[in-house]
Amino acid sequence: MKRYFLLTAITLLGLISCNNEGTAVNTVASMKTPQMENFDKAFKSLGEPQNRPTEEERKRNTSELSDRRKALLVPASKELILSTGITESELMRKTGGDMSQIIVWATQIYMKKTDEIRKNIKTEN
Amino acid sequence: MKKFLTIIGIAAVSLAYAQGGTLIINNYTPYEYRGDIIANNSSGCYPIVGNTNKIIVPADSNTGNGQQLQYDNYRDQYTSSLYPNLNWTVSTSATTTNIRPWNHPAVMPGGTISNFTKWSATKFDMFDTATGSYVTGFNANLSITSCNSSTPTPSYNTPNGLNSAEMFVIGSITYIQLY
Repeated sequence: MKRYFLLTAITLLGLISCNNEGTAVNTVASMKTPQMENFDKAFKSLGEPQNRPTEEERKRNTSELSDRRKALLVPASKELILSTGITESELMRKTGGDMSQIIVWATQIYMKKTDEIRKNIKTEN
Repeated sequence: MKKFLTIIGIAAVSLAYAQGGTLIINNYTPYEYRGDIIANNSSGCYPIVGNTNKIIVPADSNTGNGQQLQYDNYRDQYTSSLYPNLNWTVSTSATTTNIRPWNHPAVMPGGTISNFTKWSATKFDMFDTATGSYVTGFNANLSITSCNSSTPTPSYNTPNGLNSAEMFVIGSITYIQLY
């Protein structure tokens, strides 16, 4: 019985290691930081039924994303900015708490990080 | 005084370059975006700038995997974007339309066309490469500024409710998102 378990364990280990072989192929998506991941999810979540523009929002006379929907992007944006070592007070000083400025700043950081990942992948291959 | 002038100078330059703004297309769907993108003058219509050949953004191409369409300006998109657009169709009036290559002086950043136009609309069809046909009900004209006093239509839901599309602005960035 003990031997049987051992055999199973070894087989499993083998399987897992082979499995990792496949995932070791680096892509921009797989090398993102958790903060980048959340930033992404936030943008994609704008398409979820409860987050889509309301009838009122559609009729507004501005092209700017509504405050309700910007607020969906702000937590992940802040998280991403803070992950670069910027402090909360610096963040507030530079943006004045303006949601658009926070999101655009986070977007710039995100793009820069994506470029860095892309360069790393190129040098690794 | 010198410092003040420098700041004003920098602000003016960044403002000039911010005019056209960046365009990002995030395609989160399993379908291919085939469409046109249009920029125009926010006060009145002209100049109007559009792609000359169809823009194609493959299925599942977005900032999440670094495959989004991103045009920082009419020129640099050709060298920096994953989906370079060779020629722009530029209309300066109802009767004057010219085809301008990406590196033509008329569409340089900081030039008149760049400074007075902003991304404003898209007209697209979604294509299913698996079946080789267009996705029924998933095509729309989206616009975020009105031209000729038409009402903007910033978002669209497919009749079956499975997909949606929208166009919006955050600060200096214009987004077209397909869900």
